[in-house]
Amino acid sequence: MKVVTANRLIDGEVVFWRAGQWVERFAEADVFAAEDAERGDEAVQAGKDQPTLVVDPYLIDIADGPSGPAPVSYRERIRALGPTNEPDHGKQAEGGAAIAALQAATGAARSTGRVDLIRRK
Amino acid sequence: MPTLIRLIDGRFEAAEDRFTDLADDAELVAGPVILSLTRFQAESDALVTAGRQVGVRLAASEAVEDLAYDLPRLALVAPVFPKFRDGRAFTTATLLRQRLGFTGEVRALGDVLREQAFFMVRCGFDSFVPADGSTAEDWSRAAGRFRHVYQRAADDRAPAFVERAQ
Amino acid sequence: MYRYDAIDRDFLADRAAEFRGQVARRLAGELTEDQFKPLRLMNGLYLQLHAYMLRVAVPYGALSPSQMRAFAHIARTWDKGYGHFTTRQNIQFNWVRLGDAPDILDHLARHDLHAIQTSGNCIRNVTSDPYAGATADEADDPRVWSEVIRQWSTLHPEFSFLPRKFKIAITGSEADRTAAKVHDIGLVVRRAEDGELGFEVMVGGGQGRTPYIARTIRQHLPASRLLSYLDAILRVYNRHGRRDNIYKARIKILVASLGAEEFARQVDEEWARSGPEADLPDTELARIRGAFAPIAFEALPARSEALESAAASDRGLARFLRNNVKAHKRPGYAIVEIALKAPGATPGDASAEQMDRVADLAERYGLGDIRATHEQNLVLPHVKLTDLAAVYQGLSEVGLGYPNINLISDIIACPGLDYCALANARAIPVAQAIAERFADLDRAENVGELKVKISGCINACGHHHVGHIGVLGVDKKGEEYYQLSLGGSGAQDASLAQILGPALPADAVADAVDRLVETYLALRQDGERFLDTYRRAGMNPFKEAVYADAH
Repeated sequence: MKVVTANRLIDGEVVFWRAGQWVERFAEADVFAAEDAERGDEAVQAGKDQPTLVVDPYLIDIADGPSGPAPVSYRERIRALGPTNEPDHGKQAEGGAAIAALQAATGAARSTGRVDLIRRK
Repeated sequence: MPTLIRLIDGRFEAAEDRFTDLADDAELVAGPVILSLTRFQAESDALVTAGRQVGVRLAASEAVEDLAYDLPRLALVAPVFPKFRDGRAFTTATLLRQRLGFTGEVRALGDVLREQAFFMVRCGFDSFVPADGSTAEDWSRAAGRFRHVYQRAADDRAPAFVERAQ
Repeated sequence: MYRYDAIDRDFLADRAAEFRGQVARRLAGELTEDQFKPLRLMNGLYLQLHAYMLRVAVPYGALSPSQMRAFAHIARTWDKGYGHFTTRQNIQFNWVRLGDAPDILDHLARHDLHAIQTSGNCIRNVTSDPYAGATADEADDPRVWSEVIRQWSTLHPEFSFLPRKFKIAITGSEADRTAAKVHDIGLVVRRAEDGELGFEVMVGGGQGRTPYIARTIRQHLPASRLLSYLDAILRVYNRHGRRDNIYKARIKILVASLGAEEFARQVDEEWARSGPEADLPDTELARIRGAFAPIAFEALPARSEALESAAASDRGLARFLRNNVKAHKRPGYAIVEIALKAPGATPGDASAEQMDRVADLAERYGLGDIRATHEQNLVLPHVKLTDLAAVYQGLSEVGLGYPNINLISDIIACPGLDYCALANARAIPVAQAIAERFADLDRAENVGELKVKISGCINACGHHHVGHIGVLGVDKKGEEYYQLSLGGSGAQDASLAQILGPALPADAVADAVDRLVETYLALRQDGERFLDTYRRAGMNPFKEAVYADAH
């Protein structure tokens, strides 16, 4: 399963693709099952065609956890929540069940193939 | 045809390009030409004695010193920016002007963007083939952005320490 | 403080106006992200995990109270009320909006501050000794030379698109508080036997994926020839540094592949061709020196009985004096270090309230001078002994009186995976866990000077290669693991840390550090620091202590 994410151009906010829009909450993101991979790719392309709206859209792997889907990689969980040293900053500040589910996500995370990050700078 | 912008007496102007920029395998044409360093070294005597205006294209990895003895015979030297991030051509132009005393045209070729107008002009470039569709007006604005400069360079701007001493 | 004149101010205003135009073009779609990224980076603006991060230069780590208040204002107005002081004496704001960045740069410019060349493949903000002008052991004030380099390097026509970033550190003191030997160029100001002022020039140090200690290529460069010699170094690097591989593009790789002797020869050959016009005229050197406002020190007694009796009845103050207060060159004055490392704090973070308080204290008790250190702390370089108790009180009220400078809990940590787009693992929580483990200050003082440095990836912003104990976060199949190394130093006795053994899971790091410390305490001889014991006893006893269970 995959979700499309990006950073919003104007403020850098982490956003997710949902039905042609960019939303701030991970829980609201469209989830593309393996058989829908093409739709995920289309969403990435749609994001790339909106260069004044978002920066660098890409797919992330997600998996079902005990309390719902969560990003597989630790990096993406932190993007979906906020910094762990400041629990009142970022998306996690909103609290609620969806945030708690993400925070409870466990299991070995896995890199999503976005290695060589320095090259992106 | 890509636009040529020339800096003459402090003014940026769109200009007609009299030179033909020739690839190594292209057939020689009449009139002023720009050649690679390799081709120039192979064909220079025939070209120059024919009274033709000749320019040399310098790849970023080529040493400008290799041209030192030929400079009086050249109308133009064109350091190439393979990517705008590759700043070797800034050194090439600086050495051409400050060390080798070249007074002909120094033309920026390759990934030439207006954001670098300020740096290029300061290093002694006086003609530009922009890769970003920018106009002479854009270049004038970008190159004149800063009222002061801190260093002595290949242009004639007075650095801050000279301004302060006045 | 160096006082900006109209030229310096015009320059910052022009730069801010230029960036405002570039942001507008980006938002309007006239610039692609690929075109815009290098422009924003040249103004210190990164896109990180959660937002844009703005890195603001603190030139050579020196700040006035009004500049510190400008940071507090930015933190309150455009961020979430805090900022992060970095290992290059800069400050980063973590939650900046692109749309606000032009206003922030304008605000900075009004306070003689900027974000110029805090990123990009150019000559970065020069760093210097936070004790400059206050310590007795310096040959000359390195800030003067730092300012010379700041002006020379600002929008340098030839050297703004180098193979890779370029960092210069300057110290005027033999006790190196700048990590000069792990910089692209490290300069040590010295007087020769005949009294001539000059620089030892060290080149090709660095951390990252391939760490090197810098090599000395000139023992004594006459001070007046500094800029022409720097030009020669940069020119050789600009022409011959590798551009085909980002990991091999720093000058350290060029110096290592040519050999320091050959590199020095090429620099000398280039330098010999440059004329005297490449150097700054003596008149401008004198002007820059004179533009540093003179400090009116008073004639004071070398001791303060009031302070001594206050310390006798206040253990906290006594500990603060022992650890955070350093000797000043003038009798009756002291250098005060402010640790941004209290228990539970994020190393290097300061809230707007804390910044304002430091500004107030500097104004009232510190002759208006503030410094940032590469160890992510702040310094009030000129405080009267008779004011130390009041300063300690004022700091303590905002959580800044923690007396742990140079102790094991005074940890360098990069932002790591909590903020940074490049990181593989978090650094901040690991620093916090170690600091908590050594929260007992009696124990920490007994352990003595011990520099723990933590990076969240191989780029080594947390200086792990030069930690007495270095910690490197790695991604092991998606989980955070930490590789420990021992024996590094970024000071005058610089050395690179050696790997202790296999990486450990996050929750095992504090335990491992504890075992390393216990091993040191068991082995140490008179007056030895952890680093000295390691250098004498070697890796084995430490390795056994940490990995014994694994056998």
